[in-house]
Amino acid sequence: MIILREIQRHAKEQPHKVALIESDIEVKYLQLWQRILSASEYFKTVGSKGDRVMLAANKSVSFVYAYFGAQLAGLITVTVDSAVNSLRLKRIFDSASPIAIYGNLDGIQNEYKVIPFSEIDIEKTVDDSDLAFPNESDMADILFTTGTTGFPKGVVLSHKNEYNAATMINEFIGNTCDDVELLALPISHSFGLGRLRCTLVKGGTIDLLGSFANVKKFFREMETRKATGFGMVPASWNFLKRTSGEKIGQYADQLRYIEIGSAPMKLEDKEMLIRLLPNTRVCMHYGLTEASRSMFVCFNEEKDHLNSIGTPSPNVSAKIFGESGEEMPVGEPGELCVKGGHICCAYWGADKDKYGDSFFGKYFRTGDWGYKDENGYFYLISRKKELINVGGKKVSPIEVEEVINRVDGVADSACISVPDEVLGEAVKAFVVKGKAELSEKAIIDYAKSCLEGYKVPVCVEFIDEIPKTSSGKVQRLLLK
Amino acid sequence: MNTKETIIKIMSELFEVPEEKITMDSGIGDFPKWDSLGHISLLQEIQDELDIEFEPEEIIELESVEDIVSLASEKENNK
Repeated sequence: MIILREIQRHAKEQPHKVALIESDIEVKYLQLWQRILSASEYFKTVGSKGDRVMLAANKSVSFVYAYFGAQLAGLITVTVDSAVNSLRLKRIFDSASPIAIYGNLDGIQNEYKVIPFSEIDIEKTVDDSDLAFPNESDMADILFTTGTTGFPKGVVLSHKNEYNAATMINEFIGNTCDDVELLALPISHSFGLGRLRCTLVKGGTIDLLGSFANVKKFFREMETRKATGFGMVPASWNFLKRTSGEKIGQYADQLRYIEIGSAPMKLEDKEMLIRLLPNTRVCMHYGLTEASRSMFVCFNEEKDHLNSIGTPSPNVSAKIFGESGEEMPVGEPGELCVKGGHICCAYWGADKDKYGDSFFGKYFRTGDWGYKDENGYFYLISRKKELINVGGKKVSPIEVEEVINRVDGVADSACISVPDEVLGEAVKAFVVKGKAELSEKAIIDYAKSCLEGYKVPVCVEFIDEIPKTSSGKVQRLLLK
Repeated sequence: MNTKETIIKIMSELFEVPEEKITMDSGIGDFPKWDSLGHISLLQEIQDELDIEFEPEEIIELESVEDIVSLASEKENNK
């Protein structure tokens, strides 16, 4: 099965059900399907099966038509943020070599020819009785990851990968065709694009909201559309808290689910959400673009495991492997590896051997270091590449950062490894000052009082900002 | 410089747009850098610059330049 066939089915079975909302525009399933068909006819005239087409995504119904229309025509979509910087765009463009760019590129229109979505968005009646759909194994998307190193990597997802991911997410969260979702996440990333696919595969309604920035609009839409759920990253929650306090609690009876992901969330925030929304399924996922939503934890139902990343999603299996591919016993740390029909089918531009190196047997190596407890819950320690090896002892930068962040006057911090003549590596901390009088000594003294000696930073450097991805992940490797 | 001019100057620098492009009708999301992080930074800078404080129940109502200028002016007058 593929998502496009499900959209066609909804167009037949519930033609007048609203699929998409953009401000005051409402698009019903029949209309959505016809626009996808029209866009597909257009793309068949400009490209052939397997060609890449770049979509500079803004959150509009026209983007949705172009996205599914190109895929129905057999093209592979490469979605980028409309505010992408020119260096990242160049790297993605050079790697994917698309036939054209559609949409809107803020600020850098002059460097590339960008065709507006309006050119594709034509209302036309197309007969779909003899329609050739893409095969399950055909490539649907190449998503270029933000990466912790800053260099984008093209993750290829097949139609089957995306269908499998959408159905398992819906199964865990419990989505139905009656759901109305507010999409305030960027649509060009795995999370936001995934929410779009999850809603449409189930026959629900999705409201393409700008972002969380306009919090008044967010709550207005929540009321007028009677939204039953939304997705957010922990940074969105911080923003909602700062700008609206506990207002979300007023919608406790209306909200059926919230999906959270992309970066770690503080325990106190998880507990606050449980308190404010006791009957909502607040689900936090763990995943990578390569292995979208491989695990879930539902805060309200798994209160004793809030510090974990949860258990494997439906139809996903997970194991912890040692350095040479041996399975580690319960409680022993190693690399977290996952298996399932949602795992990406290739890396764009990389040969099969390189893709194969990402696996232990059939298990995809996530590059995350963690362990499993006796109840089957998984815990993350750090990114494998970011672990600091102090004389053979592995130090998680996150553990040290959590301690440093408790020092009075520290606004933010990130730790990396630095070469050490005796120990091989040692911990170095980068700190953003929250107040001017903060000293290196205060940080190190506090770290000494809380951590084993080998985990204490050997030096501290004060900087203005910790580099982070748009979803809030710390880019530690950029500090090296 | 009056309150409106001060706010527009802050916005112009923060969102990297010329002052003449910022009107009283401009709203959140109208400039690429006016996203949630940009919005928080904007409110913080305005509070620091004008030495005023916005309450959470007031912040939730701010959607446009006009909303921000009017609230900030009210706070300035009540100082």
